[in-house]
Amino acid sequence: MPNLIYLLLRRLRVPLIMLILVYAVSITGYILIPGEDDNRDPYQMTFFDAFYFVSFMGTTIGFGEIPYEFTQSQRYWTLVCLYATVISWLYSIGSMLSIFQDPAFRQQTKLNRFKRSVGNIRQPFYLVCGYGETGRKLVGDLANDGILSVVIDSGEIPINELEVNDLPISPLWLKADASDAQVLEIAGINHRCCQGIISLANDDRVNLTIAIVGQLINNNVRLITRADTKEAASNILSFGANEVINPFETFASRLALALHSPGLHLVTEWTTGPRDKKVDEFALPVKGKWIICGFGDFGRAAYRYLDEVGESLCVICSHRQERDVPAGTIIGRPTEAATLKKAGIDDAVGIIAGTGNDPDNLSVLMTAYELNPNLFRIAHQNEDKHKPIFDAANLDLVMQRGNLISDKIFALLRTPLLGDFLRIVGRFKKDRANELASRMIGVMGDDYPELWEISITNEEAPAIVERLNSSIIRLNDVLRHPDDRERRVDAMVMFLKRGEGNVILPEGTRKIKIGDRFLLCGNKIAKHKLQITARNTSYLEYVLTGRRLPDSWVWRKLMENKRFSDRFS
Amino acid sequence: MRTEKVVFAFFIVLALTLNFSFFLGDFSNPAHHDAYELFAAIVVSLIATVLKFGDRTHLGSVFLATSLVADLQLICAALVWGINSQVVGAALDENSLATIVSLSGGALLANFVSVALLVAETIYLRR
Repeated sequence: MPNLIYLLLRRLRVPLIMLILVYAVSITGYILIPGEDDNRDPYQMTFFDAFYFVSFMGTTIGFGEIPYEFTQSQRYWTLVCLYATVISWLYSIGSMLSIFQDPAFRQQTKLNRFKRSVGNIRQPFYLVCGYGETGRKLVGDLANDGILSVVIDSGEIPINELEVNDLPISPLWLKADASDAQVLEIAGINHRCCQGIISLANDDRVNLTIAIVGQLINNNVRLITRADTKEAASNILSFGANEVINPFETFASRLALALHSPGLHLVTEWTTGPRDKKVDEFALPVKGKWIICGFGDFGRAAYRYLDEVGESLCVICSHRQERDVPAGTIIGRPTEAATLKKAGIDDAVGIIAGTGNDPDNLSVLMTAYELNPNLFRIAHQNEDKHKPIFDAANLDLVMQRGNLISDKIFALLRTPLLGDFLRIVGRFKKDRANELASRMIGVMGDDYPELWEISITNEEAPAIVERLNSSIIRLNDVLRHPDDRERRVDAMVMFLKRGEGNVILPEGTRKIKIGDRFLLCGNKIAKHKLQITARNTSYLEYVLTGRRLPDSWVWRKLMENKRFSDRFS
Repeated sequence: MRTEKVVFAFFIVLALTLNFSFFLGDFSNPAHHDAYELFAAIVVSLIATVLKFGDRTHLGSVFLATSLVADLQLICAALVWGINSQVVGAALDENSLATIVSLSGGALLANFVSVALLVAETIYLRR
């Protein structure tokens, strides 16, 4: 990276040399031209006089003819020098201004400033590549949670939008191509506070490049990537990404879950869904025929997952050329009633509008509603700006790609164990999933669930670590209420990671060991209470044994006295 | 042959020669040291400095540094001269002249290093 000052000086070479030459010639002229003093005696200007005069003449300040009034010949020379110095000054200043205006120079200035501010970061941050709908939502969520993010996007519009953000923690940003290794390095991929890279580009190739570059430069940071196709997803995973999120697959698999195992669907929604509202179980239609309009990435994913859970399907596809469409596909425009009728809309239970065009999707669903008002209607919302119309259309389910990904990534960032947890839970049978869902309702009540992690380390649970050195602690004992140990806090342990081993829903009699990482679920109050227990020795003592330890030093000393303690405790 | 190189080498060598011709002579004899020569040496040295701007190689940085040293020394010499003749007002005495000349002697050394570098670079490139 070139140093800015040298870049500036290099570009100013010609104007500077011109200035030096004009000054030198002018000064020499004044020294050589004979002048007169007050008494009309000959006077030769000294170097000092000449330099002084040229300096204020060149900058158009003009103090007058110094030290003595000029002769006619000196005035002629002044006339020449006046124009020469003024023009060369204008030329120099003009070149300097044009350099400041130069896009390359400005980019360089911005880059330097960005580099400096990244270097000054002293708090954990995430590197977000791509500031589209998903990126915007994710950066907003992170900022509201008090986490800094560094944003890289190659587009002009997203960066302009960032410049006027009103987030509680203003992210750092740079307009650059994130698949460039140098850019990633400047953005702090090697920074010791960098917690992870989140790659959210629209193009799978860019995401793949970021994943490769990221893993090669620093493979200690978490890498979460978006991918729109299955091939890209597996490819990126093979480069060591921690999580790859495919919005279409995610949505389709949830839909299939909702049809097939409502309990499991609820568990996934609660853990990875939006943080501002609780998702309720929705009334899904009984088994029957589903119509899928559009066979792009979304339509394909929906088809594959619904086919897996054994629904009968009919695909409507407007292009005959579409590759490997399933048998029985209707070719035609899904917005027309005739096509929908041909696909058997009258005896269908649900319709999925999954084309890449929002007005089309809405039009399909409106037409379908007229033909069969009992249909379960699902829409794919492509663009964020269409949200109001989709809301107004009163559909049963809307898939918003941006929100879906950002909610999931946010959940994974807050509680990294969630990824492993969901992978294991995904294989649960129906009954077990329902049981898990009802246990979660038991602790979370009507609120949306709070998920958090506790590591049994000196930083996060000093009291527990201290006590583990002398005695054993079981999970059940810690989950007691720190004010009244007969009650229990509204929390459950969902997952335990001990070294490389995973324990799903660990039983209450399990012993806690130093270094364990727990994933818990409950409500906000429970989280707070558990933190108190984990950090405070006297509360932990009470929770475990029922004895209240004296808090103050004086009281503790008094309690050591046998007689005193018998009387007062 | 490239014009740029010719101009570059011309100014660097000229800075050295002018500096040398000012320096040459009896230390405290005003007749041996001409003010015009000092002025020319300063101007050429400044131009040589500007010509060296923007070269990002290691050699380029050393080039620039030597020139900056020469500028500094020559401008100091000119300042001493100016203050002596304008502010103090008396004619240039031997002590002040000795200071001026020895300052320019320092600049001469810097200019010499600069030329040595130029020659070294040329030889290195030719080989």
